[in-house]
Amino acid sequence: MKTTHKFLMLLIGLSIIGCSDLEEQPVGLLAPEGFFQTTRDIQTAVNGSYGHLTHEDFWGRKMSLTILLRSDMVDIGDPTTSARRIEHNEFNVPADNGMIPDNWRRSFQTIAAANQAIAGAAQVDAPDEQKNPIVAQSYFLRAFTYFHLVRQFGDIPYLSEPVTDVQAAGSISKTSAADVYANIIADLEFAKQWLPNTQPARSIPAKSAAHSYLALVHLTMGNFQEAYNEAKGVIDNEGAYDLALEADFQDLFDATTIDGSKEPIFSLDFNGFRDGDAGQDYQPALTGIRSDEQYGIGGGWSVAVPSLEVYNTWDDRDYRKAVSFDPTGVFDGNVEPFTNYRNFNSRAVNRPHIAKYTRRTGVTANNNGRASQHNYSMMRYAEVLLIAAEALNEISPNSTEAEGYVNRVRDRARNGGTFPEDVSGLSQDDFRDMVLDERRLELAFEFKRWYDIARRRLGSEVFSASGLEGAKPNFDPNQDYLFPLPADELVRNPNLLPQNPGY
Amino acid sequence: MKKTNLFKKGLFLVLSFCFALSVSAQQKTISGTVTSQTDGEALPGVNVIVKGTNSGTSTDFDGNYSINVSDTNATLVFSYIGYVTKEMKVSGNTLNVVLAEDLAALEEVVVVGYGSRKKSDLTGAVSSVNSEELTAFPVLDAAQALQGRAAGVVVQSNNGGEPGAPINIQIRGNTSINASSSPLIVVDGFVGATFPQPNDIQSIEVLKDASATAIYGSRGSNGVVLVTTKKGRSGALSIEINSNYSVQNTSNELDLLDANQFAAYQQAINPAYVQGPANTDWQDLLYRTGSIQNHQASFSGGTDKVNFYASANYFKQDGVLINSEFERFTFLSNIDAQVTDKLKLGINVFGSRGAENGVPTQSTGETANGGGDDVVSGSFRFAPDLGVLDENGLNTINGVGDDIDNPVAVATEGVNEVKADEYRANLYANYDIIENLAFKTTFGFSTTNETAGLFRPSTLITTAGGNVGGRAAIANLKETNIISENYLTYNTALGKGQLTLLAGYSYQKETRELFAAGAQTFTSDSFSYRNLSGGAVQLIPTSSLVESEIQSQFGRINYDYDDKYLFTATVRRDGASNFAANEKIAIFPSAAFGWKISNESFLKDNETISNLKLRASYGVTGNQAISPFQSLARFDNLYAVNNGQTINAVTPDQPANPDLKWETSNQTNLGLDIGLFNNKISLSLDYYNIDTEDLILADNTQAQFLGFLTPRSLRNIGEVNNKGFEINLNTRNISNQDFSWTTDFNLAINRNEVVALGGDIDLFLDASPGYFNLPRTHLLREGEVLGAFWGYDYQGVYQGGDLPEGTALLPGGEAGDQLFTDVDGSGDISPSDQQIIGDPTPDFTFGFTNNFSYKNFDLNIFFQGVQGGDIMNLTAIQLFNGDSNATTDILNSWTPTNTNTNIPRARLRGKEISSRFVEDGSYIRLKNIALGYTLPSEVVEKLGMQNVRLSLSAQNLFTITNYSGLDPEVSYFGSGGGSSSDANTTNGFDFGNYPNVRSVNFSVNLKF
Repeated sequence: MKTTHKFLMLLIGLSIIGCSDLEEQPVGLLAPEGFFQTTRDIQTAVNGSYGHLTHEDFWGRKMSLTILLRSDMVDIGDPTTSARRIEHNEFNVPADNGMIPDNWRRSFQTIAAANQAIAGAAQVDAPDEQKNPIVAQSYFLRAFTYFHLVRQFGDIPYLSEPVTDVQAAGSISKTSAADVYANIIADLEFAKQWLPNTQPARSIPAKSAAHSYLALVHLTMGNFQEAYNEAKGVIDNEGAYDLALEADFQDLFDATTIDGSKEPIFSLDFNGFRDGDAGQDYQPALTGIRSDEQYGIGGGWSVAVPSLEVYNTWDDRDYRKAVSFDPTGVFDGNVEPFTNYRNFNSRAVNRPHIAKYTRRTGVTANNNGRASQHNYSMMRYAEVLLIAAEALNEISPNSTEAEGYVNRVRDRARNGGTFPEDVSGLSQDDFRDMVLDERRLELAFEFKRWYDIARRRLGSEVFSASGLEGAKPNFDPNQDYLFPLPADELVRNPNLLPQNPGY
Repeated sequence: MKKTNLFKKGLFLVLSFCFALSVSAQQKTISGTVTSQTDGEALPGVNVIVKGTNSGTSTDFDGNYSINVSDTNATLVFSYIGYVTKEMKVSGNTLNVVLAEDLAALEEVVVVGYGSRKKSDLTGAVSSVNSEELTAFPVLDAAQALQGRAAGVVVQSNNGGEPGAPINIQIRGNTSINASSSPLIVVDGFVGATFPQPNDIQSIEVLKDASATAIYGSRGSNGVVLVTTKKGRSGALSIEINSNYSVQNTSNELDLLDANQFAAYQQAINPAYVQGPANTDWQDLLYRTGSIQNHQASFSGGTDKVNFYASANYFKQDGVLINSEFERFTFLSNIDAQVTDKLKLGINVFGSRGAENGVPTQSTGETANGGGDDVVSGSFRFAPDLGVLDENGLNTINGVGDDIDNPVAVATEGVNEVKADEYRANLYANYDIIENLAFKTTFGFSTTNETAGLFRPSTLITTAGGNVGGRAAIANLKETNIISENYLTYNTALGKGQLTLLAGYSYQKETRELFAAGAQTFTSDSFSYRNLSGGAVQLIPTSSLVESEIQSQFGRINYDYDDKYLFTATVRRDGASNFAANEKIAIFPSAAFGWKISNESFLKDNETISNLKLRASYGVTGNQAISPFQSLARFDNLYAVNNGQTINAVTPDQPANPDLKWETSNQTNLGLDIGLFNNKISLSLDYYNIDTEDLILADNTQAQFLGFLTPRSLRNIGEVNNKGFEINLNTRNISNQDFSWTTDFNLAINRNEVVALGGDIDLFLDASPGYFNLPRTHLLREGEVLGAFWGYDYQGVYQGGDLPEGTALLPGGEAGDQLFTDVDGSGDISPSDQQIIGDPTPDFTFGFTNNFSYKNFDLNIFFQGVQGGDIMNLTAIQLFNGDSNATTDILNSWTPTNTNTNIPRARLRGKEISSRFVEDGSYIRLKNIALGYTLPSEVVEKLGMQNVRLSLSAQNLFTITNYSGLDPEVSYFGSGGGSSSDANTTNGFDFGNYPNVRSVNFSVNLKF
């Protein structure tokens, strides 16, 4: 009997384990509590925004393709592509258009990451001189993202702190566009104060980035004096900021040389890898020629293709045209002109395709050049020169200074040739038209044109029958300079009503 | 059941001595042996009396008897509990008798949670499946053998006849939206185990109502499946060998266009199409004759103190798709020892190693590769005018539509291996502390180690993700599970009744460790996934650790008053680590009442009604539904790049949710058990109503501008209702010495409805392949079924001229195109014209089994079927789309000269979901027909064996259905690939399943 009891006790002892407090102790998961200890942790939180910006929802495809297609420089190629894309190209965007919700959500995720880094920095026990240069990146990134949102949607909900109370934060109303702009400027001023003059890479904003974006924001708001002042400030600090125009225009679109270039001021960096749709760059696929073999990336999808007019009206002597377009492809081993593209793939289209993103993708982790190694310039020095020229023309026409800025850009565009010629002696109006057209060509397919059309209210002109893409009868200047707020977001939060006009 | 049989045998031995005393010694002596029809074994303690007298005897341990009769025309009556009483006229001096088991035996003992009960004393809804049913034909997984065997238990392969495919079980409908609806599996008391081999299983009990499952608390709401494995019996060593071999073929193939027809069809769409050089029947190249072999040896025996059972099993299946196979070794051992009068110890050990070598089926449909990762849909889509290799000796890529690799190359050149090891040990001690009070403690440990390897060589262009020079990945999952359960059982007479009390404590901890890595751009295709460092591009590796604990107290009271009124009450208190901070403890009560009306005086001696029992129960059960760490505030990593380097980055993932709790089911069950004519007919009827509330759903009312990576927090906001009716009918139609015929029929009706979604909103789900680009295929809407089909309502082919009233065309439509109902009256068809177009819920499901035995032959015929329930034929959507091969139905498509047709003109068109592709999913299937022959005992004895049985069977011999696709048992879940929650809400879609198979099987059963 005694042995039995021993057995039994042993078994019970072995068996009754536990009496746990049932608290969860996650390993390998990140919790907000206790995360912010050092300045390195601030940088890790700052980096969240970089990750969001290169996601498919934003620059990978959804946001970038939307503003590309809404411009007069890029049309739909493959007519069977998704309706949500065609709707933007044709300006018949419904409030539940499929491009907008992902862009909306991802933009606010970028902002939430920035808000978290900014709030987290306050918890780190370090002097401002150490913390602020790091967290100033988040101020810049928050301004950068709100700047896209305010230009796309106008009045928007504005959050500047991490959300802890979902119900309360989720029922706020819209902030007026004017107030959003004021906040953007405040963030950029903070960033301009604290960011260092230069960074290890142009994908990390330096003082030059905040400075340049202040110029662009003021230009967009029509504050030409401030726009000029800021742009001039950048130009005056060209040396300190380590800025210059890249000698060969082609090198700006070469993933293997762009890292060493002094022209980009702020860029989004893709490195050829991806995690699902995070870090996957679809621009080469969307703009590439279907079944084209010339770059060994398996061709593209012929989705975003300029109208023939864009190609035909561009002077052949302009070196930038050759860099920007592929008028030939390679099929079955033979070079073929664009008039034959469709012979090799029924979804291709017989027009020259954009070459900026397919010609030199670097190593890519995926077919069609998806997940390229491109760095996309959000702002490059040429644009700062053109901002200075445009703004100066508004406040003080006929200055040789403004002409000088344009001519620096044109000089590089000639690439040793004779065209485009230097400008001089234009009237204020002609100079304005010239500089906007210079932006159109210099920054062709670089996601700038739609915003130029919107801020200068050019829609009725460029989408008329004489426009590059022919008449866009659906274009309505009272509606189409803004996107609709995502329809389902309005259902979730009626405080965001009213919907933008016309939707 | 075996334990009680032994007990009964003992009891009747004692009783029979009393009879023996009254035997008078004169006249003729009759002697013989009584054996059981079931297993041919001798039956000790059988009562033998001379009819009309009170003289009698009983059989000895070897089943022998000898009795004196005065009348040479006397009749002997052989009776034995659990067997049908038999009367035989005396002739000669020897009379051997075979007794048939009483199949409607109400004295059967069934296993319930933490104990067992006499079947007649059950108050809940419990279905039992016995070992004969489980082993009627070869199956990979015992779960498969449950199909059609128990009312309200729906069993379906996740992927047709794929070797090694997971099997889904669902009991009484879908009680959740996002959480699993799979039942809890308990094997010999080990909670959360996997099924052992069918041949090792003594019985399976399916606990369906809350009275039966509430003792499992927060894991009980999907029902509980209790598995009892075979135990040794005292006596000589018994060796049993089961061996079977099956030959399999696809049960169906599609009638596709050949090269000439295909080229003509493509030229109608695109006049420039140039016919390719070959004429390939891709289905022919992909399908082969498959086989299953399954061999098992088991050993059992014991002394009066120690019993053992041990078995080893080998299973090998070569699937009907080339290059798909599954192989598994399994062993199981049960040892029980009566150490002292009061102490019993035992151990149960299980181990298995499975190796699956698969081919990709059920397309994940990634848009990027045109959905071309699936050989089944690939075999339908791929151009028949191309061969496997092109003129340069390279694998061909589809000539039309998306660029997909040809399915033969995908099937033969890719590697998809899964190796899984599983070991489980469960020790128990049972101690009788005092009379009627016993303590049982069990301690169990299990570990599963699964490695999945994947390789796509550089020769596969699109399935490898493009020109990346090959892609490989390996993932390892290790799960461990520790369980300790301890409980006291007390039994006493109380008044005119019997009281049983149970109280216990349980602790369980689960750990999951995951690691995955991958690379691409390999220097050689010879590496498979065995040399990731040989890839120039390393993909991002992942790893994780997830732990969860649950500790519980539970108790039960049974009181049986006067063998007429039965009361059961249970309660379980669960504390679980994955519950949120404010909701750590959950309590689940239940109560049930049973009334044995047939034991009331007014029915006691009724000759027609032999059994009548009413059951009623109500209880609360839960579904844990919250994954570990889900209620905590979290950051998440995300992929970010700076300066060309991948960098560390975090972003807010979700806010804390301290109030998140389990999903709760409130279930009412009403049951009636009827036995007629000495239980020759027994009928069980059950009605149930399950209200499940606090369903965890993503809160769609949460604004997305809050910026969380998981944009919708989970909240307890949903409600669904399931109600249903189950019939179980069991009849012994004929039962005599040479011939018996029994019938089992079960039928179940389940209706479900979405009651609340947390706001008057529509939730849309997508279960189509990604490359279809269809974000909305299923709908969740308050007041509708879970997962109604969503799409356009097809109105036939547009003949030109005025549009028929209320219809419209898609933009650009012309004569010969599809007409749809114009719901919004806008004059053209756009997503706002989509509506509910189908319901995958069956009207009812049923199983129908007939068992015949004639002398040494037995015949089993098992039909199984579904009535009602729509199927969405996604395969047809693809094949009528213009960018792939098509079925020969396309030859009847609309042309200006062939207008009387329902098939629109040949053209490229979007892959719209419409009622055109909704079909009736009803079917009746001859699931199994088996003819068995048991060798006569004389022959067997000469061979030195106890029993030899041979059987020939066929599975899925025919199916009656109107469904035009390959098979009405569909299970396509879209790009997600069939996670457990998809099975709740996105049913009824058919695309690229591994085909179902028809098989012929021969098996041998030897017993020494």
